[in-house]
Amino acid sequence: MAFMRKQAVVEAVDVNTLTPEDTEKRITAGVKKYATNEANYAAADANTPYLGHIVGMGIESSNLADITMSIERQFLTKMTTKTPVSEGSAEYKLTAGELGKLRILDGQDALAATPGLSVKMLMDLGHMPKSDAYLEKVMSFAYVMATGDGWKMADALKKMAGKADKLAGAERSEALANLKTLVAQAKDYDALLADASKLAASKAKAYTNDKAGFDALTTELNLTLDKIKGVSAGGDAAAIAKLRGEEAEIRTRLKMSAAKLRVSQEVSEAAGKRRAIEDAQVSKVRAALQEAVSLAEKLSERCPWRRRKSKPSASSGRSAARSWCPCRSWSPRSRGFISGTASTRTSTASAPRSGPSSTRTTAPSSGPPTT
Amino acid sequence: MFPTSRLIEDRRIPWSTPEYTNYYKLGGPVQSAFIRGLLYLCRCIPFLRGGEDAASETWRQKAFDKCVWVLKEGGAVFVYPEAGRARSGWLEPKRPKDFLGKLALEVPSSKFLCVYLRSDRQISTTAAPPRGDRLRLVADLIEGKLPEETTARAISQRLFDRLAAMQQEWWKGSDMARNCGGNDVVDLKGPLLRENFSDDLTEADQEWLERHLTKKELAALSALGPEGLFRGFWRYFCAKEACHKALGRAVIVVPNGAFREIEVDLFRRKATHIPSGLQLDIRFTDDDEDKLHCVAVLRGGYVGDEQTEGDVLWSVGEVPQGTSPGAFVRDLALDMIAASNDEIGSAWKLALTEDSGLPGVLWKGAPQDWSLSLSHSGRYAAASFMIS
Repeated sequence: MAFMRKQAVVEAVDVNTLTPEDTEKRITAGVKKYATNEANYAAADANTPYLGHIVGMGIESSNLADITMSIERQFLTKMTTKTPVSEGSAEYKLTAGELGKLRILDGQDALAATPGLSVKMLMDLGHMPKSDAYLEKVMSFAYVMATGDGWKMADALKKMAGKADKLAGAERSEALANLKTLVAQAKDYDALLADASKLAASKAKAYTNDKAGFDALTTELNLTLDKIKGVSAGGDAAAIAKLRGEEAEIRTRLKMSAAKLRVSQEVSEAAGKRRAIEDAQVSKVRAALQEAVSLAEKLSERCPWRRRKSKPSASSGRSAARSWCPCRSWSPRSRGFISGTASTRTSTASAPRSGPSSTRTTAPSSGPPTT
Repeated sequence: MFPTSRLIEDRRIPWSTPEYTNYYKLGGPVQSAFIRGLLYLCRCIPFLRGGEDAASETWRQKAFDKCVWVLKEGGAVFVYPEAGRARSGWLEPKRPKDFLGKLALEVPSSKFLCVYLRSDRQISTTAAPPRGDRLRLVADLIEGKLPEETTARAISQRLFDRLAAMQQEWWKGSDMARNCGGNDVVDLKGPLLRENFSDDLTEADQEWLERHLTKKELAALSALGPEGLFRGFWRYFCAKEACHKALGRAVIVVPNGAFREIEVDLFRRKATHIPSGLQLDIRFTDDDEDKLHCVAVLRGGYVGDEQTEGDVLWSVGEVPQGTSPGAFVRDLALDMIAASNDEIGSAWKLALTEDSGLPGVLWKGAPQDWSLSLSHSGRYAAASFMIS
């Protein structure tokens, strides 16, 4: 079958004959056609995320599987023998055998968010020898995620500050109220990034949730096994078959839940261990956050009316501007800052304008809701 | 949970209506006998949920008659109004069940004691609430049958509406996001989407398909035939991505590339997050030659359909050439939200936040639980939010 990707066929190389750096280069080159942010791609290193546009390569989620398959196509490995995970199990792992096509099994690529982490994945799975020197330069998945969130936050704050700067009067005061919240969020996140233990604690919550989910599923499995035991005594074949189906379904869910738990456990543990590479990346993000905060705070302090006043006299201009400047009343109380989130939400929900029919969920028949 | 202090006030203990196969055949003979004894003490009228045969129908009718008798004698019956536990973690008032309405028609003098009980960290349906968690409840007593109500559906609808209002009240005191929705757009003309298909789009790389679709989905896709393969695959993908975003709101992170954790049923317009068992409603709002757009709702409101207005608003737009799709979709989202509400009116009153790594909206300086979702693919960008 002729696939469109035939243009990208490359000769597979034994991954064991390559250095980690060369492997990384090949992996990065393999995803070039999927990268939509050319500038970030051109400057990509081991820690550049595949996804995302701010610091990432801009690869879209529809090409996520292509990243993994691109890695598989490029390398050969000796880990090719299928060995059952446990006796009688249909699940298998790959162990040493003849040189052949590299296979990345379901869920094994969950943490491979950057080229460096993809190389780490190959090392962890035994496809290539572990290189501590290389891994020292690779940021953990936990920090790729944490710094990614920081970049997004700093970007949102900068953009909002830019917008607010162009506004005046009531519009500006509304924008500044939002900006103030963004600043508070950015400061909180900056503080979180500053303290590895706090970051670890926040990630531990996700792990606790996943663990609770896993435990609940285990309880459910035990209940179903109890039901099977009960029904088996009566010999109701249809009921037994139905319950066996339920059991199989829960076991599948349990397997996926365990895979998810491994990811959150790894993230939770790695968030507390900050190495030099993570420190460096965190510093960059924190600097961006602080710069955005400072920009926004300067804007909040500055009065746009004075700045835009046309050539006032040094003595009277200032006081004249003050006499009608809306900034005078910018105290949190007078501008109703955070006044009853619930009530404002309710009113929004209860009074949605019928609005552009193209965006309303009730109007699909009136034509495609595109703008 | 067992009201031991009320044991001597037998009339106050309601008759429960457990599902027979769930409770009456648990474990070996000793365990089973013990549970049956406990269920007897707890005053249970077992129901049989499944089965369309005459015996099952008779069982259900008998159980219903017993409930009517209990109510007529001044007793109380404890019933899950949805005939089970919602797999989305959300009571949907637009889909009422008639059982309680029928009971009220039979015993017009009865009243409904509505109880919305939930653990603070309960996300999905589990056999027991999370260990050590706190349960909060909202309760209200309402009339069984109003004089103007003549059908079971009318009574049930009123009951479900009240329960929905109580649900909203419960969520006001919760730290969890109430609205959990997502959307995704796919540009069907994007060249990278065709990579793993044959030139005429009637065949696809099986290994690549298997990385995205579950066995059930693969079977359903192959039933579409070669002509439906390309569009069919991207419909699955689009729905999965929308669900991924909706689940993210409920702090359920689907790891990157774990497409098979979400199983989509395009016919039933449902998706299931396999590890948690959570069910989502999906809806395709755009399905033409150029693009697909899907919205998904886990909880917080109704996804809507051709007949019933939903709680999701969306907008799909073409990204102007030379514009960053990321910036465009953010502007599109704010413009849409502002235009959808008279009180907001202008997009400058809103701001986008990226707190917790998810897009959100600020209005009057406060974060809004609107479950904003952004998406872009090739020439298109789309945004959705929930107004419930």
